[in-house]
Amino acid sequence: MNTIVKLACLETKMFFRDRLSLFWTFLFPVVMIWLFGSMFVGDDLSQKAFAEYFVPAWIGVNIVSTSFFTLGTVLTHYRETSVLRRYQSTPLQPWKILAAHTFQGTVIFAVSAMLLMVFGMLLYDLTLPVFLWSTLLSLLISILTFFPFALFLTSLAKTTQAAAAISSLFLNLMLFLSGATFPLEMMPTVLQYAAKILPLYYVVKMLRGTWTQAPITAYGTEVAVLIGIAIVSVALATRFFRWSGK
Amino acid sequence: MESVIQVEKLSKNFGDIQAVKHLSFTVRKGEIFGIIGPNGAGKTTTLEILEGISEPTEGTVKVLGLVPHKQRRELNKRIGVQFQAASIQKKMKVKEALDLFSSFYHSATPKDELIQWLGLSEKLNAKFDDLSGGWKQRVTLALAALHKPDILFLDEPSMGLDPSARREMWSLIRRFRDHGSTVVVTTHYMEEAEQLCDRVAMIYDGQLKALNSPRTLLSEHAVDCLAFISDGLGPEHVSALPGVKRVEQIHGEFKVFCDDRQTTAYQLFRYCREHGISLSNFRFEKCSLEDVFIRYLEKEKTR
Repeated sequence: MNTIVKLACLETKMFFRDRLSLFWTFLFPVVMIWLFGSMFVGDDLSQKAFAEYFVPAWIGVNIVSTSFFTLGTVLTHYRETSVLRRYQSTPLQPWKILAAHTFQGTVIFAVSAMLLMVFGMLLYDLTLPVFLWSTLLSLLISILTFFPFALFLTSLAKTTQAAAAISSLFLNLMLFLSGATFPLEMMPTVLQYAAKILPLYYVVKMLRGTWTQAPITAYGTEVAVLIGIAIVSVALATRFFRWSGK
Repeated sequence: MESVIQVEKLSKNFGDIQAVKHLSFTVRKGEIFGIIGPNGAGKTTTLEILEGISEPTEGTVKVLGLVPHKQRRELNKRIGVQFQAASIQKKMKVKEALDLFSSFYHSATPKDELIQWLGLSEKLNAKFDDLSGGWKQRVTLALAALHKPDILFLDEPSMGLDPSARREMWSLIRRFRDHGSTVVVTTHYMEEAEQLCDRVAMIYDGQLKALNSPRTLLSEHAVDCLAFISDGLGPEHVSALPGVKRVEQIHGEFKVFCDDRQTTAYQLFRYCREHGISLSNFRFEKCSLEDVFIRYLEKEKTR
Protein backbone atom coordinates (compact mmCIF):
# COMPACT_ATOMS: atom_id res chain seq x y z
CA MET A 1 0.00 0.00 0.00
CA ASN A 2 2.82 2.27 0.99
CA THR A 3 4.39 1.76 -2.43
CA ILE A 4 1.18 2.52 -4.33
CA VAL A 5 0.66 5.78 -2.45
CA LYS A 6 4.29 6.74 -2.86
CA LEU A 7 4.27 6.03 -6.57
CA ALA A 8 0.95 7.83 -7.06
CA CYS A 9 2.23 10.91 -5.18
CA LEU A 10 5.44 10.95 -7.19
CA GLU A 11 3.62 10.63 -10.48
CA THR A 12 1.28 13.46 -9.48
CA LYS A 13 4.24 15.62 -8.53
CA MET A 14 5.93 14.91 -11.83
CA PHE A 15 2.72 15.72 -13.68
CA PHE A 16 2.73 19.15 -12.10
CA ARG A 17 6.35 19.63 -13.18
CA ASP A 18 5.28 19.41 -16.81
CA ARG A 19 3.86 22.74 -17.96
CA LEU A 20 2.48 21.41 -21.21
CA SER A 21 0.29 18.80 -19.59
CA LEU A 22 -0.85 21.39 -17.06
CA PHE A 23 -2.06 23.58 -19.91
CA TRP A 24 -3.89 20.82 -21.78
CA THR A 25 -5.47 19.29 -18.71
CA PHE A 26 -6.46 22.31 -16.69
CA LEU A 27 -6.49 25.42 -18.83
CA PHE A 28 -7.59 24.16 -22.24
CA PRO A 29 -11.07 22.91 -21.18
CA VAL A 30 -11.76 26.16 -19.34
CA VAL A 31 -10.74 28.19 -22.39
CA MET A 32 -12.97 26.02 -24.58
CA ILE A 33 -15.96 26.57 -22.29
CA TRP A 34 -15.29 30.28 -22.35
CA LEU A 35 -15.06 30.26 -26.17
CA PHE A 36 -18.25 28.27 -26.57
CA GLY A 37 -19.88 30.55 -24.03
CA SER A 38 -19.07 33.65 -26.01
CA MET A 39 -20.44 31.96 -29.14
CA PHE A 40 -23.64 30.39 -27.88
CA VAL A 41 -24.89 32.43 -24.95
CA GLY A 42 -27.43 34.94 -26.18
CA ASP A 43 -31.13 35.35 -26.75
CA ASP A 44 -31.86 31.64 -27.34
CA LEU A 45 -29.64 30.21 -24.63
CA SER A 46 -29.37 31.57 -21.10
CA GLN A 47 -26.05 31.46 -19.28
CA LYS A 48 -27.30 28.84 -16.88
CA ALA A 49 -28.71 26.60 -19.61
CA PHE A 50 -25.44 26.89 -21.52
CA ALA A 51 -23.39 25.91 -18.50
CA GLU A 52 -25.68 23.02 -17.63
CA TYR A 53 -25.27 21.74 -21.16
CA PHE A 54 -21.53 22.22 -21.65
CA VAL A 55 -19.83 21.96 -18.26
CA PRO A 56 -20.92 18.37 -17.46
CA ALA A 57 -20.07 17.38 -21.03
CA TRP A 58 -16.58 18.85 -20.79
CA ILE A 59 -16.05 17.17 -17.46
CA GLY A 60 -16.78 14.00 -19.40
CA VAL A 61 -14.28 15.04 -22.09
CA ASN A 62 -11.72 15.56 -19.34
CA ILE A 63 -12.12 11.94 -18.28
CA VAL A 64 -11.25 10.95 -21.83
CA SER A 65 -8.22 13.23 -22.10
CA THR A 66 -6.95 12.22 -18.65
CA SER A 67 -7.26 8.54 -19.41
CA PHE A 68 -5.70 8.74 -22.86
CA PHE A 69 -2.99 11.33 -22.27
CA THR A 70 -2.19 11.44 -18.55
CA LEU A 71 -2.44 7.68 -18.20
CA GLY A 72 -2.21 5.85 -21.49
CA THR A 73 0.35 7.86 -23.39
CA VAL A 74 2.53 8.30 -20.31
CA LEU A 75 2.57 4.56 -19.63
CA THR A 76 3.44 3.86 -23.26
CA HIS A 77 6.26 6.36 -22.89
CA TYR A 78 7.43 4.52 -19.77
CA ARG A 79 7.29 1.28 -21.68
CA GLU A 80 9.28 2.72 -24.55
CA THR A 81 11.95 4.27 -22.32
CA SER A 82 12.38 1.10 -20.19
CA VAL A 83 10.94 2.68 -17.05
CA LEU A 84 8.51 -0.21 -16.70
CA ARG A 85 11.22 -2.70 -17.46
CA ARG A 86 13.22 -1.30 -14.59
CA TYR A 87 10.26 -2.05 -12.30
CA GLN A 88 10.08 -5.56 -13.69
CA SER A 89 13.23 -6.52 -11.81
CA THR A 90 11.94 -5.31 -8.47
CA PRO A 91 9.36 -7.01 -6.26
CA LEU A 92 6.78 -4.44 -7.45
CA GLN A 93 3.77 -6.18 -9.05
CA PRO A 94 2.14 -4.79 -12.21
CA TRP A 95 -1.26 -4.25 -10.60
CA LYS A 96 0.34 -1.88 -8.13
CA ILE A 97 1.71 0.22 -10.97
CA LEU A 98 -1.70 0.34 -12.63
CA ALA A 99 -3.37 1.12 -9.31
CA ALA A 100 -0.96 3.96 -8.62
CA HIS A 101 -1.53 5.46 -12.05
CA THR A 102 -5.29 5.08 -11.73
CA PHE A 103 -5.12 6.85 -8.39
CA GLN A 104 -2.99 9.64 -9.84
CA GLY A 105 -5.31 9.97 -12.84
CA THR A 106 -8.32 10.25 -10.55
CA VAL A 107 -6.70 13.00 -8.51
CA ILE A 108 -5.76 14.99 -11.60
CA PHE A 109 -9.17 14.51 -13.13
CA ALA A 110 -10.86 15.60 -9.89
CA VAL A 111 -8.84 18.83 -9.88
CA SER A 112 -9.70 19.57 -13.50
CA ALA A 113 -13.40 18.83 -12.93
CA MET A 114 -13.48 21.13 -9.91
CA LEU A 115 -11.84 23.87 -11.94
CA LEU A 116 -14.43 23.56 -14.70
CA MET A 117 -17.31 23.54 -12.24
CA VAL A 118 -16.08 26.54 -10.29
CA PHE A 119 -15.46 28.38 -13.55
CA GLY A 120 -19.02 27.58 -14.63
CA MET A 121 -20.41 28.75 -11.30
CA LEU A 122 -18.50 32.02 -11.35
CA LEU A 123 -19.15 33.00 -14.96
CA TYR A 124 -22.35 31.28 -15.96
CA ASP A 125 -24.46 30.88 -12.80
CA LEU A 126 -23.99 27.13 -12.78
CA THR A 127 -25.27 25.40 -9.64
CA LEU A 128 -24.03 22.23 -7.97
CA PRO A 129 -25.50 19.04 -9.46
CA VAL A 130 -29.08 18.53 -8.34
CA PHE A 131 -28.43 14.83 -7.80
CA LEU A 132 -24.94 15.22 -6.40
CA TRP A 133 -24.40 11.61 -5.33
CA SER A 134 -25.71 10.37 -8.65
CA THR A 135 -23.29 12.63 -10.48
CA LEU A 136 -20.39 11.46 -8.34
CA LEU A 137 -21.36 7.85 -8.90
CA SER A 138 -21.60 8.51 -12.64
CA LEU A 139 -18.11 9.99 -12.57
CA LEU A 140 -16.78 6.95 -10.75
CA ILE A 141 -18.33 4.59 -13.28
CA SER A 142 -16.99 6.68 -16.14
CA ILE A 143 -13.48 6.63 -14.71
CA LEU A 144 -13.61 2.89 -14.18
CA THR A 145 -14.66 2.54 -17.82
CA PHE A 146 -12.29 4.94 -19.46
CA PHE A 147 -9.05 4.34 -17.61
CA PRO A 148 -8.67 0.67 -18.55
CA PHE A 149 -10.20 1.38 -21.99
CA ALA A 150 -7.49 3.95 -22.74
CA LEU A 151 -4.74 1.91 -21.10
CA PHE A 152 -5.54 -1.03 -23.32
CA LEU A 153 -5.77 0.99 -26.54
CA THR A 154 -2.56 2.92 -25.95
CA SER A 155 -0.71 -0.24 -24.93
CA LEU A 156 -1.15 -1.39 -28.54
CA ALA A 157 1.22 1.40 -29.57
CA LYS A 158 4.93 0.70 -29.51
CA THR A 159 6.05 4.31 -29.41
CA THR A 160 4.93 7.40 -27.56
CA GLN A 161 4.12 9.11 -30.83
CA ALA A 162 1.87 6.28 -31.91
CA ALA A 163 0.14 6.30 -28.52
CA ALA A 164 -0.39 10.04 -28.80
CA ALA A 165 -1.83 9.55 -32.28
CA ILE A 166 -4.25 6.89 -31.03
CA SER A 167 -5.20 9.17 -28.15
CA SER A 168 -5.78 12.19 -30.37
CA LEU A 169 -7.88 10.14 -32.75
CA PHE A 170 -10.18 8.86 -30.01
CA LEU A 171 -10.35 12.18 -28.22
CA ASN A 172 -11.29 14.09 -31.37
CA LEU A 173 -13.72 11.46 -32.53
CA MET A 174 -15.49 11.54 -29.20
CA LEU A 175 -15.30 15.30 -28.87
CA PHE A 176 -17.33 15.80 -32.00
CA LEU A 177 -19.52 12.73 -32.01
CA SER A 178 -20.58 12.39 -28.40
CA GLY A 179 -22.68 15.50 -28.20
CA ALA A 180 -20.11 17.11 -25.92
CA THR A 181 -19.34 20.00 -28.25
CA PHE A 182 -22.09 19.99 -30.86
CA PRO A 183 -25.63 18.89 -30.17
CA LEU A 184 -26.16 15.55 -31.86
CA GLU A 185 -29.56 16.66 -33.13
CA MET A 186 -27.70 18.93 -35.57
CA MET A 187 -26.03 15.96 -37.21
CA PRO A 188 -27.13 13.49 -39.90
CA THR A 189 -28.84 10.33 -38.69
CA VAL A 190 -25.87 8.13 -39.61
CA LEU A 191 -23.58 10.08 -37.33
CA GLN A 192 -26.16 10.01 -34.56
CA TYR A 193 -26.01 6.22 -34.70
CA ALA A 194 -22.23 6.24 -34.90
CA ALA A 195 -22.13 8.32 -31.73
CA LYS A 196 -23.74 5.50 -29.81
CA ILE A 197 -20.75 3.27 -30.43
CA LEU A 198 -18.53 5.68 -28.54
CA PRO A 199 -18.49 5.34 -24.75
CA LEU A 200 -18.30 9.09 -24.19
CA TYR A 201 -21.85 9.44 -25.56
CA TYR A 202 -23.17 7.54 -22.55
CA VAL A 203 -20.96 9.41 -20.11
CA VAL A 204 -22.14 12.79 -21.39
CA LYS A 205 -25.77 11.74 -21.31
CA MET A 206 -25.46 10.46 -17.77
CA LEU A 207 -23.55 13.48 -16.45
CA ARG A 208 -25.88 16.04 -18.03
CA GLY A 209 -28.90 14.09 -16.81
CA THR A 210 -27.85 13.69 -13.21
CA TRP A 211 -26.73 17.32 -13.06
CA THR A 212 -30.24 18.68 -13.64
CA GLN A 213 -32.95 16.13 -14.35
CA ALA A 214 -32.95 12.74 -12.68
CA PRO A 215 -30.95 10.48 -10.36
CA ILE A 216 -28.71 7.78 -11.79
CA THR A 217 -31.45 5.17 -11.52
CA ALA A 218 -33.04 6.77 -14.56
CA TYR A 219 -29.94 5.97 -16.62
CA GLY A 220 -29.84 2.19 -16.35
CA THR A 221 -28.92 1.62 -20.00
CA GLU A 222 -26.00 4.03 -19.87
CA VAL A 223 -24.70 2.51 -16.63
CA ALA A 224 -25.03 -1.01 -18.04
CA VAL A 225 -23.21 -0.14 -21.28
CA LEU A 226 -20.37 1.57 -19.43
CA ILE A 227 -19.95 -1.23 -16.90
CA GLY A 228 -19.89 -3.69 -19.81
CA ILE A 229 -17.10 -1.71 -21.50
CA ALA A 230 -15.30 -1.46 -18.15
CA ILE A 231 -15.28 -5.22 -17.61
CA VAL A 232 -14.06 -5.97 -21.13
CA SER A 233 -11.38 -3.26 -20.89
CA VAL A 234 -10.05 -4.41 -17.53
CA ALA A 235 -9.80 -7.94 -18.86
CA LEU A 236 -8.00 -6.80 -22.02
CA ALA A 237 -5.72 -4.33 -20.22
CA THR A 238 -4.51 -6.90 -17.70
CA ARG A 239 -4.30 -9.70 -20.28
CA PHE A 240 -2.16 -7.61 -22.62
CA PHE A 241 -0.09 -5.73 -20.05
CA ARG A 242 3.52 -5.64 -21.23
CA TRP A 243 6.62 -4.52 -19.40
CA SER A 244 8.65 -3.66 -22.42
CA GLY A 245 8.08 -2.76 -26.03
CA LYS A 246 10.01 -5.72 -27.34
CA MET B 1 33.74 -22.71 -3.37
CA GLU B 2 30.05 -21.94 -3.00
CA SER B 3 28.33 -21.07 -6.26
CA VAL B 4 25.35 -18.73 -6.58
CA ILE B 5 24.55 -19.22 -10.26
CA GLN B 6 24.56 -22.50 -12.16
CA VAL B 7 23.93 -22.54 -15.88
CA GLU B 8 23.87 -25.82 -17.77
CA LYS B 9 23.52 -26.27 -21.52
CA LEU B 10 21.51 -23.10 -21.83
CA SER B 11 20.07 -22.28 -25.26
CA LYS B 12 17.76 -19.51 -26.32
CA ASN B 13 16.08 -19.20 -29.70
CA PHE B 14 14.29 -16.20 -31.14
CA GLY B 15 12.39 -17.73 -34.02
CA ASP B 16 15.02 -19.32 -36.25
CA ILE B 17 17.88 -17.41 -34.70
CA GLN B 18 19.80 -19.15 -31.97
CA ALA B 19 21.00 -16.33 -29.74
CA VAL B 20 22.59 -18.54 -27.08
CA LYS B 21 23.95 -22.02 -27.71
CA HIS B 22 24.66 -24.65 -25.05
CA LEU B 23 26.11 -22.27 -22.55
CA SER B 24 27.38 -23.73 -19.29
CA PHE B 25 29.09 -21.91 -16.44
CA THR B 26 28.87 -21.25 -12.73
CA VAL B 27 29.32 -18.02 -10.84
CA ARG B 28 30.97 -18.20 -7.43
CA LYS B 29 29.80 -16.34 -4.40
CA GLY B 30 31.52 -13.01 -3.91
CA GLU B 31 33.25 -12.67 -7.26
CA ILE B 32 32.95 -10.16 -10.06
CA PHE B 33 32.03 -12.31 -13.02
CA GLY B 34 32.39 -10.74 -16.43
CA ILE B 35 30.55 -11.75 -19.54
CA ILE B 36 32.37 -10.28 -22.50
CA GLY B 37 31.82 -10.41 -26.20
CA PRO B 38 31.13 -8.19 -29.18
CA ASN B 39 27.74 -6.53 -29.66
CA GLY B 40 25.09 -9.09 -30.48
CA ALA B 41 27.05 -12.00 -29.00
CA GLY B 42 24.23 -12.96 -26.63
CA LYS B 43 25.41 -11.22 -23.47
CA THR B 44 22.20 -9.33 -22.72
CA THR B 45 20.07 -12.35 -23.63
CA THR B 46 22.03 -14.47 -21.15
CA LEU B 47 21.67 -11.82 -18.48
CA GLU B 48 17.92 -11.53 -19.06
CA ILE B 49 17.55 -15.27 -18.61
CA LEU B 50 19.49 -15.13 -15.33
CA GLU B 51 17.20 -12.30 -14.17
CA GLY B 52 14.10 -14.30 -15.07
CA ILE B 53 12.83 -11.78 -17.62
CA SER B 54 13.36 -14.17 -20.46
CA GLU B 55 12.62 -17.89 -20.56
CA PRO B 56 15.33 -20.34 -21.68
CA THR B 57 14.50 -22.49 -24.70
CA GLU B 58 16.63 -25.33 -23.38
CA GLY B 59 18.88 -26.12 -20.47
CA THR B 60 18.71 -25.42 -16.76
CA VAL B 61 19.43 -22.22 -14.89
CA LYS B 62 19.56 -21.80 -11.13
CA VAL B 63 20.14 -18.47 -9.46
CA LEU B 64 20.41 -18.46 -5.66
CA GLY B 65 18.75 -21.87 -5.77
CA LEU B 66 15.74 -20.50 -7.67
CA VAL B 67 14.54 -21.07 -11.22
CA PRO B 68 14.55 -17.47 -12.46
CA HIS B 69 11.65 -17.35 -14.92
CA LYS B 70 9.39 -19.33 -12.60
CA GLN B 71 10.29 -17.70 -9.30
CA ARG B 72 10.96 -14.18 -10.44
CA ARG B 73 9.20 -12.42 -7.60
CA GLU B 74 11.18 -14.30 -5.01
CA LEU B 75 14.37 -13.72 -6.98
CA ASN B 76 13.68 -9.99 -7.44
CA LYS B 77 13.87 -9.49 -3.68
CA ARG B 78 17.43 -10.76 -3.66
CA ILE B 79 18.94 -9.39 -6.84
CA GLY B 80 19.63 -5.89 -8.10
CA VAL B 81 19.61 -5.05 -11.78
CA GLN B 82 21.07 -2.22 -13.77
CA PHE B 83 19.84 -2.35 -17.34
CA GLN B 84 21.73 -1.26 -20.37
CA ALA B 85 21.02 2.43 -20.89
CA ALA B 86 18.40 2.07 -18.20
CA SER B 87 16.09 4.88 -17.42
CA ILE B 88 13.79 6.14 -14.75
CA GLN B 89 11.20 8.87 -15.14
CA LYS B 90 12.85 11.96 -16.59
CA LYS B 91 11.30 14.39 -14.17
CA MET B 92 11.92 12.31 -11.09
CA LYS B 93 14.43 13.70 -8.63
CA VAL B 94 17.28 11.52 -7.42
CA LYS B 95 16.08 11.46 -3.82
CA GLU B 96 12.55 10.62 -4.94
CA ALA B 97 13.83 7.70 -6.96
CA LEU B 98 15.87 6.38 -4.04
CA ASP B 99 12.89 6.75 -1.76
CA LEU B 100 10.52 5.02 -4.18
CA PHE B 101 12.80 2.11 -4.90
CA SER B 102 13.60 1.50 -1.25
CA SER B 103 9.85 1.20 -0.61
CA PHE B 104 9.84 -1.86 -2.91
CA TYR B 105 11.97 -3.87 -0.50
CA HIS B 106 11.18 -5.05 2.99
CA SER B 107 14.69 -5.07 4.34
CA ALA B 108 15.66 -1.79 5.92
CA THR B 109 18.15 -0.10 3.65
CA PRO B 110 21.04 2.03 4.80
CA LYS B 111 20.21 4.73 2.26
CA ASP B 112 22.43 7.41 3.73
CA GLU B 113 25.43 5.14 3.57
CA LEU B 114 24.78 4.42 -0.09
CA ILE B 115 24.31 8.10 -0.89
CA GLN B 116 27.63 8.81 0.72
CA TRP B 117 29.37 5.96 -1.07
CA LEU B 118 28.22 7.03 -4.46
CA GLY B 119 28.69 10.71 -3.66
CA LEU B 120 25.09 11.37 -4.57
CA SER B 121 24.35 13.92 -1.87
CA GLU B 122 25.04 16.94 -4.08
CA LYS B 123 22.67 15.62 -6.77
CA LEU B 124 19.73 14.58 -4.57
CA ASN B 125 17.52 17.41 -5.78
CA ALA B 126 18.45 17.12 -9.43
CA LYS B 127 16.00 15.65 -11.91
CA PHE B 128 17.18 12.48 -13.58
CA ASP B 129 17.04 13.98 -17.06
CA ASP B 130 19.31 16.86 -16.08
CA LEU B 131 22.12 14.54 -14.99
CA SER B 132 25.12 13.70 -17.17
CA GLY B 133 25.67 10.14 -18.36
CA GLY B 134 28.05 9.31 -15.54
CA TRP B 135 25.68 10.52 -12.87
CA LYS B 136 22.77 8.70 -14.45
CA GLN B 137 24.76 5.47 -14.28
CA ARG B 138 25.56 6.14 -10.64
CA VAL B 139 21.92 6.69 -9.82
CA THR B 140 20.77 3.53 -11.58
CA LEU B 141 23.57 1.66 -9.84
CA ALA B 142 22.34 3.02 -6.52
CA LEU B 143 18.79 1.90 -7.33
CA ALA B 144 20.06 -1.57 -8.18
CA ALA B 145 22.10 -1.86 -5.00
CA LEU B 146 20.10 -0.12 -2.30
CA HIS B 147 18.66 -3.29 -0.80
CA LYS B 148 22.10 -4.92 -0.55
CA PRO B 149 21.25 -7.63 -3.05
CA ASP B 150 23.00 -11.01 -3.01
CA ILE B 151 23.68 -10.66 -6.72
CA LEU B 152 24.10 -7.46 -8.66
CA PHE B 153 23.53 -7.71 -12.43
CA LEU B 154 25.09 -4.88 -14.40
CA ASP B 155 24.57 -4.67 -18.15
CA GLU B 156 27.29 -2.51 -19.72
CA PRO B 157 27.66 -0.31 -16.64
CA SER B 158 30.28 1.96 -18.12
CA MET B 159 28.86 2.41 -21.58
CA GLY B 160 29.22 5.98 -22.73
CA LEU B 161 31.31 7.05 -19.75
CA ASP B 162 34.56 8.96 -20.07
CA PRO B 163 37.72 7.21 -18.86
CA SER B 164 37.81 8.77 -15.42
CA ALA B 165 34.11 8.16 -14.79
CA ARG B 166 34.67 4.58 -15.90
CA ARG B 167 37.44 4.10 -13.38
CA GLU B 168 35.26 5.52 -10.64
CA MET B 169 32.50 3.14 -11.67
CA TRP B 170 34.90 0.22 -11.35
CA SER B 171 35.96 1.16 -7.87
CA LEU B 172 32.30 1.45 -6.86
CA ILE B 173 31.56 -1.98 -8.27
CA ARG B 174 34.54 -3.46 -6.42
CA ARG B 175 33.20 -1.89 -3.28
CA PHE B 176 29.91 -3.68 -3.65
CA ARG B 177 31.79 -6.95 -4.06
CA ASP B 178 33.88 -6.22 -0.97
CA HIS B 179 30.66 -5.77 0.97
CA GLY B 180 29.44 -9.21 0.11
CA SER B 181 27.54 -8.93 -3.18
CA THR B 182 28.32 -11.15 -6.12
CA VAL B 183 28.52 -9.08 -9.28
CA VAL B 184 27.72 -10.26 -12.80
CA VAL B 185 28.70 -7.69 -15.36
CA THR B 186 28.57 -7.63 -19.16
CA THR B 187 30.85 -5.47 -21.19
CA HIS B 188 32.38 -5.16 -24.57
CA TYR B 189 35.27 -3.14 -23.21
CA MET B 190 38.10 -5.63 -22.81
CA GLU B 191 40.00 -3.25 -20.62
CA GLU B 192 37.07 -3.21 -18.25
CA ALA B 193 37.02 -6.98 -18.07
CA GLU B 194 40.76 -7.10 -17.49
CA GLN B 195 40.77 -4.53 -14.73
CA LEU B 196 37.50 -5.25 -13.01
CA CYS B 197 36.60 -8.91 -13.23
CA ASP B 198 37.79 -11.82 -11.14
CA ARG B 199 36.75 -14.23 -13.84
CA VAL B 200 35.70 -13.68 -17.41
CA ALA B 201 33.48 -15.67 -19.76
CA MET B 202 34.11 -14.88 -23.39
CA ILE B 203 31.02 -15.27 -25.49
CA TYR B 204 30.95 -15.10 -29.23
CA ASP B 205 28.04 -16.00 -31.45
CA GLY B 206 26.09 -17.29 -28.45
CA GLN B 207 28.78 -19.76 -27.48
CA LEU B 208 31.21 -19.84 -24.60
CA LYS B 209 34.74 -19.55 -26.00
CA ALA B 210 36.81 -19.27 -22.85
CA LEU B 211 36.30 -18.93 -19.13
CA ASN B 212 38.97 -18.02 -16.62
CA SER B 213 40.59 -15.22 -14.70
CA PRO B 214 41.86 -12.45 -16.98
CA ARG B 215 45.44 -13.16 -15.93
CA THR B 216 45.19 -16.86 -16.79
CA LEU B 217 43.54 -16.10 -20.09
CA LEU B 218 46.40 -13.77 -20.89
CA SER B 219 49.16 -16.18 -19.95
CA GLU B 220 47.47 -19.15 -21.63
CA HIS B 221 47.34 -17.26 -24.84
CA ALA B 222 50.71 -15.62 -24.52
CA VAL B 223 50.73 -13.49 -27.57
CA ASP B 224 53.17 -10.86 -26.42
CA CYS B 225 54.81 -9.11 -29.31
CA LEU B 226 57.26 -6.53 -30.53
CA ALA B 227 55.94 -3.27 -31.86
CA PHE B 228 57.78 -0.64 -33.88
CA ILE B 229 57.51 1.81 -36.74
CA SER B 230 59.73 1.68 -39.77
CA ASP B 231 59.49 3.06 -43.28
CA GLY B 232 62.27 1.12 -44.92
CA LEU B 233 61.15 -2.32 -43.80
CA GLY B 234 58.66 -4.53 -45.64
CA PRO B 235 56.62 -7.24 -43.95
CA GLU B 236 58.37 -9.86 -46.08
CA HIS B 237 61.70 -8.90 -44.53
CA VAL B 238 60.35 -9.18 -41.04
CA SER B 239 58.66 -12.52 -41.67
CA ALA B 240 61.96 -13.92 -42.89
CA LEU B 241 63.63 -13.31 -39.51
CA PRO B 242 64.16 -16.47 -37.44
CA GLY B 243 61.49 -17.35 -34.88
CA VAL B 244 58.81 -14.99 -36.24
CA LYS B 245 55.32 -16.50 -36.26
CA ARG B 246 53.15 -13.73 -37.53
CA VAL B 247 53.46 -10.11 -38.62
CA GLU B 248 50.75 -7.48 -38.57
CA GLN B 249 51.04 -4.05 -40.07
CA ILE B 250 48.51 -1.43 -39.07
CA HIS B 251 48.94 2.23 -40.05
CA GLY B 252 52.65 1.77 -40.60
CA GLU B 253 53.13 0.13 -37.22
CA PHE B 254 54.46 -3.41 -37.16
CA LYS B 255 53.40 -6.00 -34.62
CA VAL B 256 55.62 -9.05 -34.60
CA PHE B 257 54.49 -12.18 -32.81
CA CYS B 258 57.26 -14.62 -32.03
CA ASP B 259 58.43 -17.39 -29.70
CA ASP B 260 61.25 -15.53 -28.07
CA ARG B 261 60.99 -11.78 -28.14
CA GLN B 262 64.53 -11.09 -27.05
CA THR B 263 66.16 -13.15 -29.78
CA THR B 264 63.86 -11.82 -32.49
CA ALA B 265 64.50 -8.27 -31.34
CA TYR B 266 68.24 -8.86 -31.59
CA GLN B 267 67.87 -10.27 -35.11
CA LEU B 268 65.68 -7.38 -36.09
CA PHE B 269 68.09 -4.73 -34.87
CA ARG B 270 71.00 -6.46 -36.53
CA TYR B 271 69.14 -6.69 -39.83
CA CYS B 272 68.23 -3.03 -39.74
CA ARG B 273 71.75 -1.95 -38.86
CA GLU B 274 73.25 -4.02 -41.68
CA HIS B 275 70.82 -2.55 -44.20
CA GLY B 276 70.86 0.97 -42.86
CA ILE B 277 67.12 0.97 -42.06
CA SER B 278 65.82 3.15 -39.25
CA LEU B 279 63.47 1.94 -36.55
CA SER B 280 61.43 4.08 -34.22
CA ASN B 281 59.00 3.65 -31.34
CA PHE B 282 60.29 0.17 -30.65
CA ARG B 283 58.79 -1.56 -27.61
CA PHE B 284 58.06 -4.92 -26.05
CA GLU B 285 54.32 -4.96 -26.01
CA LYS B 286 52.24 -6.78 -23.48
CA CYS B 287 49.20 -8.37 -24.92
CA SER B 288 45.82 -7.27 -23.61
CA LEU B 289 42.61 -9.20 -23.26
CA GLU B 290 41.51 -7.38 -26.35
CA ASP B 291 44.26 -9.09 -28.39
CA VAL B 292 43.28 -12.46 -26.99
CA PHE B 293 39.71 -11.78 -27.92
CA ILE B 294 40.51 -10.57 -31.41
CA ARG B 295 42.56 -13.70 -31.94
CA TYR B 296 39.56 -15.78 -30.98
CA LEU B 297 37.39 -13.91 -33.43
CA GLU B 298 39.92 -14.37 -36.22
CA LYS B 299 40.16 -18.07 -35.49
CA GLU B 300 36.38 -18.21 -35.84
CA LYS B 301 36.41 -16.46 -39.18
CA THR B 302 39.11 -18.59 -40.72
CA ARG B 303 37.37 -21.78 -39.69
